[in-house]
Amino acid sequence: MDINVKPAGDVTVVQIRGSVDGLTADELLATLDREVDAGNVRLVADLTGLDYTSSAGLRALLGTLKRTRSKGGDLRLAAVQPPVRKVLELAGFTGILKLYDDVPAAIASYAG
Amino acid sequence: MNDRNAPDRPARSVAVVIGSGSVKCAAALGLVRVLQREGIRISQLVGCSGGAIYASIVAMGLSIEECVAASERLWTREVTAHGDRRALLRVLMPKVFGFDSDFGLRSDELVLARLREAFGDTRIEDLPTPLHLTATDFANGELTVFSRGSLVDAVRASMAVPFLFRPWKIDGRLYLDGYMADPLPVGVAMREGAQTILAMGFESPYEERISSGARFAFQVSSILSNNLLKSQFAFHALAHHAEVIPIIPEFRQRIHLFDTAKLPYIIEEGERAAEAQMPYLLRLLATEDREERAVLHRRATS
Repeated sequence: MDINVKPAGDVTVVQIRGSVDGLTADELLATLDREVDAGNVRLVADLTGLDYTSSAGLRALLGTLKRTRSKGGDLRLAAVQPPVRKVLELAGFTGILKLYDDVPAAIASYAG
Repeated sequence: MNDRNAPDRPARSVAVVIGSGSVKCAAALGLVRVLQREGIRISQLVGCSGGAIYASIVAMGLSIEECVAASERLWTREVTAHGDRRALLRVLMPKVFGFDSDFGLRSDELVLARLREAFGDTRIEDLPTPLHLTATDFANGELTVFSRGSLVDAVRASMAVPFLFRPWKIDGRLYLDGYMADPLPVGVAMREGAQTILAMGFESPYEERISSGARFAFQVSSILSNNLLKSQFAFHALAHHAEVIPIIPEFRQRIHLFDTAKLPYIIEEGERAAEAQMPYLLRLLATEDREERAVLHRRATS
């Protein structure tokens, strides 16, 4: 898994590529925790290059979602690929997370 | 296929959970084929409803070809072809014909005969691979797990589709289809100590056209069971530390309840879905293997 963090105005885009699973979820969670601790609570996860998530990945996303929302922010997902969307739907995540077709749309959603 | 008493390395094994999904559950045979090819042992099997049939035939240690043949013998359109006329009269005139919980619109004689033919007097605890089958307690809706006792009774209870087949009595209690409590019971594998769980689940198909009372009932049932599947899966995936790897076959063709003619295609899609997760699973098992060896090394040298 590769993680790349870049600011976009007052939004932070976290690009996640590869697979979020039992072997990589801790690293992702640590990265996201660092951003939240630094006050970057308006997050967009760019999932263009994410091809898989297991239950460990779901736990990392949910943990970050709780932390950002408790601080007045959010975690929004952009460009979710079909295999990942399938798992998110199965776990009911599409009902609690906001999903957008691409990163610009997810960033723009914070302006509303 | 698997040996209950095999002393091989515990790390290179996975639990397999097969959810409800009628004949689509045969996709689990594709998953098993991939696991065999990769040399990954199944530490335990959990089955629900249609998944109970396939979990059972895999747990018996049959080859994939034998599993397919057993499935073709067991699950055909004839098993629900014979209606129970008295059941219909009991619905229409309960005071005249009497009505109680022993109710199903279809005769279960043939399905029972075929289960007996397939599984005989086999007891669950005697199977080569540990097996857990789920059903729903008719009195209180609780998930019940059968890990011992008659295999025929447990499978019959697990696939007691409401309204279709009458609930099945075991030790004085009545049981309905396992999907009523949890269509993909990964929690059972967690409770039995599994660390890595391959969960093969299926959403119930929605009706293309509501043209009869039966189709209306199936639609309502699909809505309820699909929502239950999602909520139960979410709870277990988030509340436990075990690694759950969902394996969800994509069926481009619509699979009907008794499409046994499509078994090769169904198995192929199961194999394809399993192969997609193999690179990750192999990395995960290799890591667990290294950790296991490190623990053993520390113990040996301390």
